[in-house]
Amino acid sequence: MKSIARMVLVLGLVCTVAALSLSVVYEVTKEPIAEAYRQELLDAIGAVLPAFDNAPDADMVAVEGVDYYLAKAKGAPVGAAFKVNSTQGYSGLITALVGVDPEGRVTGVRILLHTETPGLGAKFTAPAFLAQFKGKTLGTSNWKVKKDGGDFEQITGATITPRALVAAIGEGLETFAKARFTVFEGGAR
Amino acid sequence: MSLVTTFTRGIFKENPVFRLLLGMCPTLAVTTEAVNGLAMGLATAFVLVCANIVVSLFRSVIPAKVRIPVFIVIIATFVTVVDLVMNGFVHELHKTLGVFIPLIVVNCVILGRAEAFASRNGPLSSLFDGLGMGLGFTASLTLLGAVRELFGNGTIFGAAIFGAGYHPVIVMILPPGAFITLGLILAAINHLSNVRAKAGA
Repeated sequence: MKSIARMVLVLGLVCTVAALSLSVVYEVTKEPIAEAYRQELLDAIGAVLPAFDNAPDADMVAVEGVDYYLAKAKGAPVGAAFKVNSTQGYSGLITALVGVDPEGRVTGVRILLHTETPGLGAKFTAPAFLAQFKGKTLGTSNWKVKKDGGDFEQITGATITPRALVAAIGEGLETFAKARFTVFEGGAR
Repeated sequence: MSLVTTFTRGIFKENPVFRLLLGMCPTLAVTTEAVNGLAMGLATAFVLVCANIVVSLFRSVIPAKVRIPVFIVIIATFVTVVDLVMNGFVHELHKTLGVFIPLIVVNCVILGRAEAFASRNGPLSSLFDGLGMGLGFTASLTLLGAVRELFGNGTIFGAAIFGAGYHPVIVMILPPGAFITLGLILAAINHLSNVRAKAGA
């Protein structure tokens, strides 16, 4: 009986001390972690949009479940960035950030998250590959890879990944087209 | 046993990866690049050293029947600390290793050392045991990562070795490459120790 009490006591004590020390570490690292995630998003926004001088994550406009990060220079909107997702890749979820200017032209694309095959599908994160989206719009381009009769390059040996990305950006632009007025005109007020 | 032997044993004679074949999950999963291997190794080594010291300090008050849960709580606490600190301060690295950090909890090397060494020895020799085993683990993962990165990507620690004309052997950075590389390194090490044993006899 005594030994059971001792077991419970020791295990309970160890867990209490562990929980207390973790709460301290959590408090200390909370700010840096939040800041690191914010910086990651801001870096990506900076890479897909023209120069801006506001904080796009603060000037965010949500339209029908999609968050549009509005970038402004001297108070005038210069573009918006939004996330697109695809589960049609070779493995797991692909998340990309797409930047568009007020006329709906793509200003840049950056891959935020993916688990595609290194050396094959994963090559789609290369700036040279992503540059092909620049200046394209929903209306003037056929949002499919060339192999499927569209306007966009695929990657040798890995068609599935670009196919998923191109389709996701196309769908994102379609959703954006409907939200465009709200994002830019609503945000300009 | 002297502290020096305690320390070097983990690096060579009882190297956790190449001799004891412990902790295979992170060994095979994260070693696609040398830097990943190094970071995973150091994170594991840190947890190993801390867990060894704490277990050793309290070895006389921990009842034998609940020692495994106590060890796991201690190990999990340090792993969570590493996870939070890495996420906040080396965010890029945390993104690559993210999923594997919590798995350090179930790394057999750490529980193995707590059970086999730290629960029977003083804090100082447990510290050296943790350092030796941790460095042995780190060196093994870095070596695996370097070999796979070299052939699979033509670089080591991101620096180009073979030049632009090199066609990477992509299988080396895919999961099969981990088994192939580990197998070849194990064969080489076993061969060397056989040669040495014969020379000694």
